[in-house]
Amino acid sequence: MFDKPALWQKFMYYGLLIIVAIIILFPIYFMFMISLKQPKDIYRTPSLLPLNASLKNYEELIVEDHFLINIGNSVLVAGASTFVSVLFSSMAAYSLVRLKYLYRNWIGRLILFTYLTPSGLLFIPLSVMISRLQLGNTLHGLIFVYLTFAAPLSTWLLMGYFRSIPVELDEQAMVDGATRLQAFYRIVLPLTGPGLVAVSVFTFTAAWDELLYALIFITSPSLQTVPVAISRLITGDVFRWGLIMAAAMFAALPVMILYYVAQRFVVQGLAAGAVKG
Amino acid sequence: MVTPLVVCILLLVVYPFFFAIQISFTNRVVGSDGQFVGFANYINLAKKPDFQASIQNTIVMVSAIQIIKLIIGLGLAALLNQQIRARQLWRGLILIPWAMPAFVAFITWKLLYAPQGGAFNYILIGLGLVNTHVDFLSTRELAMPSVIAASVWRGFPFWVISFLAAMQSVPRELYESSALDGANAWQRFMNITLPGIRHIILVVILISTIATTNSFEAVWILTGGGPSNATMTFPVLAYYGLQSLRIGEASAVSVALLPVFAVLALIVAVQLQKED
Repeated sequence: MFDKPALWQKFMYYGLLIIVAIIILFPIYFMFMISLKQPKDIYRTPSLLPLNASLKNYEELIVEDHFLINIGNSVLVAGASTFVSVLFSSMAAYSLVRLKYLYRNWIGRLILFTYLTPSGLLFIPLSVMISRLQLGNTLHGLIFVYLTFAAPLSTWLLMGYFRSIPVELDEQAMVDGATRLQAFYRIVLPLTGPGLVAVSVFTFTAAWDELLYALIFITSPSLQTVPVAISRLITGDVFRWGLIMAAAMFAALPVMILYYVAQRFVVQGLAAGAVKG
Repeated sequence: MVTPLVVCILLLVVYPFFFAIQISFTNRVVGSDGQFVGFANYINLAKKPDFQASIQNTIVMVSAIQIIKLIIGLGLAALLNQQIRARQLWRGLILIPWAMPAFVAFITWKLLYAPQGGAFNYILIGLGLVNTHVDFLSTRELAMPSVIAASVWRGFPFWVISFLAAMQSVPRELYESSALDGANAWQRFMNITLPGIRHIILVVILISTIATTNSFEAVWILTGGGPSNATMTFPVLAYYGLQSLRIGEASAVSVALLPVFAVLALIVAVQLQKED
């Protein structure tokens, strides 16, 4: 393992990696390429190359299908559910990691179980609850429902970050006269900054990607989030692939950029935890 | 400090959780609360061909997906754990399918599989491997492998990255001393790497199995459960149940999976506590 690989081994390693890279990148290339094509080019003169490329699909999506409204809905729902769940869960995660009280372990276990609870189990009772509360077909109803996975997810991740910050820091602050709450938001929270960013990104993308709940709870086209708007495009009889792939690009790009940013923060968050004091 | 979150979880997860179980024992439909019917929903379900199909399909699909991801995950992690140039770059590349929203990944694969305008048919016909268009997602024998392939593509990065991180924390001295003892690469992998990351392997398998079993997007987008239930799985069947407004029965579909979920979640909890 630590011997220098021989030449044939190098060939094999990089050969394999290149095959993997092609398998990963080809679907993404195809998605982008088709998003630039019109139906007649897709069906009559199929090709793996972007011949007759244009941005017409993107234009049609925005001008005729009002796709920006769907993007706005998604941003609102994902943003709000991330904000609320990170707010609640940062307090909860801090208290679970630092304070000692009755049932603390049980609450920790409860959060792990809710984190693992599949949406496939919850969507039916939630649909009954939401319609009883008259929250069906509203964005705030959807935000409410998204807390079912966003809150446990962000709490679970944040507990890890808070554990990585040395207890001595809060203790020192409290010796210096700070209250527990001050120690939390003056000392611990700023140090968890990168972690908070990473957790917010994960929570935001989980909400941005969500399809099942949005499909069930939102019926008006003007309130649909991006995943629902796209799935509406694929349920018709004729697949307008160019248009669908343009919409898919809109859906994929923001989260992939966020992920790229979060990767760096995740590494930073880990490094910050490793440097004691 | 923990109160808002606990209230939120009790209200939004714990209550619906038990509510789901309760509903599954009633003949509730939209607009009527229905009455307690005991196990009637479950008995009815057991007789239904789509439910029987979904049990079989879920088992076949999840085991195939998990086994393939385990092999690819271990293989690629071991490969990236070698002396590879620009390891960060390769790792970032491998993460891409996982960073994509699942529904985008599966819609893209639906296009790749499309008989008209799809990439696979274009390539197969171009290479002269087939004469007519292959309808991957509507042919009984091909629908399941096609869903499996797309799910593996979307899901394998999580495995590679988790295994790689674990492999990098296995102490180097172990490898060095074993290399001195004359162990070859395969022996070192079997005797040091695998035992060293055993714990992570188990946790990844369990968490991913819970997620894959309950994945709605893959099947719903690619095949909708068809052709004639060939790829029907629990979450999709439960969704159709809700669409048909027979809530009691639909709830029984998802609750039927509960024992499996509970056992897997319990093992995860025990494993993670061991880690602390």
